[in-house]
Amino acid sequence: MSESTTAATTGPAGTAGESGAGSATGRGRRARVRVRPPRRAAARTVAAVAAAGLLLLALPFYLDRFWLQAGLLAMAAAIGAIGLNLLTGATGQLSLGHSFFLAVGAYGYCVLAGDRDGELTGLGLPGWLAVTGAVAMAGAAGGLFSPIAGRLRGAYLGIATLALVFIGQHVLLNAHDLTGGYNGRPVPPLSLFGITFDDTETVVAAVPFQSMEKLWYAGLALLTVCAFFAHGVLRDRPGRALNAIRDHRIAAGVMGVPVARQRAGVFVLSSMYAGLAGVLLALVFQQTVPEYFGIVLALEYLAMIVIGGLGSVSGAVTGAVFVTLLPQILTRYSEALPLVSAPGTGGVAPGEMSRYLYGAAIVAIVLFLPGGLVRLAARRGHTQKDEA
Amino acid sequence: MKTVKTQKKRTARTAAVVAATALALIATGCSSKAGGGDSGGTGADGVRTDKGVTDDTIRIGALTDMTGVYASLGKSVTQAQQLYIDKINADGGICGRKLELTVRDHGYDAGKAIPAYTELQPKVVGFVQFLGSPFVSAVKERIDGQHKVLVLPQAWSADLLGSEYIRVIGATYDVETVNAIEFLLEEGRIAEGDKLGHVYFEGDYGENALKGAEYAAGKAGLTLVEQKIKPTDEDMSAQVAAFKKAGVKAIVISAGPRQAASLVGVSAAGGLNVPIIGNNSAFAPQLLKTQAGPVLQKDYYVAASTLPIGSEEPEPARLAREYAKAYPDDILDNGVAAGWSAASVFGAALKQACDDKDLTREGVAGALTSMEDHDGGFGIRHDFTDPELPSTRETFILKPDGKTKGGLKVLREAEASKNAQAFSFGE
Repeated sequence: MSESTTAATTGPAGTAGESGAGSATGRGRRARVRVRPPRRAAARTVAAVAAAGLLLLALPFYLDRFWLQAGLLAMAAAIGAIGLNLLTGATGQLSLGHSFFLAVGAYGYCVLAGDRDGELTGLGLPGWLAVTGAVAMAGAAGGLFSPIAGRLRGAYLGIATLALVFIGQHVLLNAHDLTGGYNGRPVPPLSLFGITFDDTETVVAAVPFQSMEKLWYAGLALLTVCAFFAHGVLRDRPGRALNAIRDHRIAAGVMGVPVARQRAGVFVLSSMYAGLAGVLLALVFQQTVPEYFGIVLALEYLAMIVIGGLGSVSGAVTGAVFVTLLPQILTRYSEALPLVSAPGTGGVAPGEMSRYLYGAAIVAIVLFLPGGLVRLAARRGHTQKDEA
Repeated sequence: MKTVKTQKKRTARTAAVVAATALALIATGCSSKAGGGDSGGTGADGVRTDKGVTDDTIRIGALTDMTGVYASLGKSVTQAQQLYIDKINADGGICGRKLELTVRDHGYDAGKAIPAYTELQPKVVGFVQFLGSPFVSAVKERIDGQHKVLVLPQAWSADLLGSEYIRVIGATYDVETVNAIEFLLEEGRIAEGDKLGHVYFEGDYGENALKGAEYAAGKAGLTLVEQKIKPTDEDMSAQVAAFKKAGVKAIVISAGPRQAASLVGVSAAGGLNVPIIGNNSAFAPQLLKTQAGPVLQKDYYVAASTLPIGSEEPEPARLAREYAKAYPDDILDNGVAAGWSAASVFGAALKQACDDKDLTREGVAGALTSMEDHDGGFGIRHDFTDPELPSTRETFILKPDGKTKGGLKVLREAEASKNAQAFSFGE
């Protein structure tokens, strides 16, 4: 766990908005004296964030639906990964059941927002209430599991959460009136403040806005709020308590950290993040697909936080973007990849090739960047300061 | 000093980025997305076109699984379709245009399948293959509402019926199961009052087959003994024990090849000597080389709405020959015939659309709907005029045979039983 410890101590400070001067503030806080970063560096950071923000805001005007959809999947994954990083990265609690809570969020939203349709149950609640309700349901599911989550740790919790995935799969396939069975159920479009996030065209600056364009902004807003909230949790007292539990459970207890309660609490919070990610995923897919919420998805989320960097918000977001976009890009440009032959000619098929590359990338990152991709940025920050 | 300079440079660069972005935002009018997009036009030859068709190519999409759970099926289907397209191109193409197959492998993962559809959709005139019914359902609303693009799913669940653009080729699982049970009745293997076992997958395949079984059992006065299994269950001992206890006289299996092999093998070993009949997905030629091979050739049957690839009829025989020549290392299975049949239906629709001078998406889908007697050479005539119905209600009864290519030979010619003709869908 020593790798993740270093990643976590520099990590929270090195998140969005402070990447340049991250480690400086980090050290300052520990000494309880705020060392202001050089004014010029601060200005530069602000400018960089503004530029990145503007760029993200402008993208729906240019990208086609495929890229917007991929971006939205990455945003949803980022929200879920932040939640898992709170649990696994910051607290050291292994969870293999993240996909279960995603499913609770996705299906919860469908049930709450959907209208009664044939044998499908739906409550027809307004959009904001359905989203909040779905997140609350995921949190409640996490809460029900918290007697277990509070007491178990490490691999034991991993095995226990694994059971959730199998229970979830069984329910999704068999509770027909709630879930629609094997083929899932259609996801009612979100409607907020008079805007409906569906495929009806709204023309903005001569660009037709459909569901993906509109959802893009909703996704950005949700991700920003989630990132700031998690950032706040991690950099203050709760974050330090969680890190203490991860690094030395007994010492944390001796210092007065209520270990079981904190563990249970972070499990609930992580489930709520997963629930929100599930809602966004469902809105992007426009149909829930039960098979998607399986064990592979749970492992992908673990891969995200390991690749991105354990214990930090920026690590979770970076990892989520990497893990979500890489296979999409490899599949899309499969024909242009070297060593790849057209399907059916007997060579390596594009799909296989993209898996090899994906696997190789993960191995390379774990070997050469054990603190995750965010360490790249952190390293650059250090060299700059050394030069100065 | 050096760092101050680089910092200055950096600030300048960031400022430039900000300015450029702001400019870009203001100038969104220049975005390629602005405006209505291409609404198509009329080619030099007077044929109307829109998406996926240029003056010299017709692009067709295939969304398949070559790395996931249905990898072997997806590979056979896709290769057979590529073979069909190569043959059409060698004969000069359709409408003076070459066909081009664009394949995306989704690995049976919704996270890839739905984006792959989104990506390919604007580029193709239609999809000759879309493997995985959950994903077809997921994009159904967009297919019917906005894209109006012809999709031939590689699935036979009646849940997919009812769309003008998503067309199932062949009998759906429910009516196939009705025919299968009718076959057992006609052969005198079961009679009124008997118990009939049914092993089926949870999910749309098994549950759709179950509807047919319930219907047929109700009509014939049979008692159905149901055993629902998961695709991960591969040992059928528990099911066989339950059937033996219930005293079933015959068994229907709506599951995968492995489950069928286990069911047949365990029944024979346990002394439950009853006829077993499966849906078209409950067999693979590889099974004949396993320990279950000899018993499979005794009293096991398969219902399918296509001639097997090992048939002596000219079309299947020629396909088997050409496929073996093009892909000498690959096994001949049901997927080859299914893929070729779908491709030939799509090709026929394109030719019809060309005759109508309308190669737009609507034109191609409309051309398919006008085909009331399509014969692909695989023993079944397809009627595509009613989207609410499968293209046929007829089913062949096949029997595993180690000496035939593809492992199946025809036992009874295609026919639609009385109950299959009376069966109403979507109830």
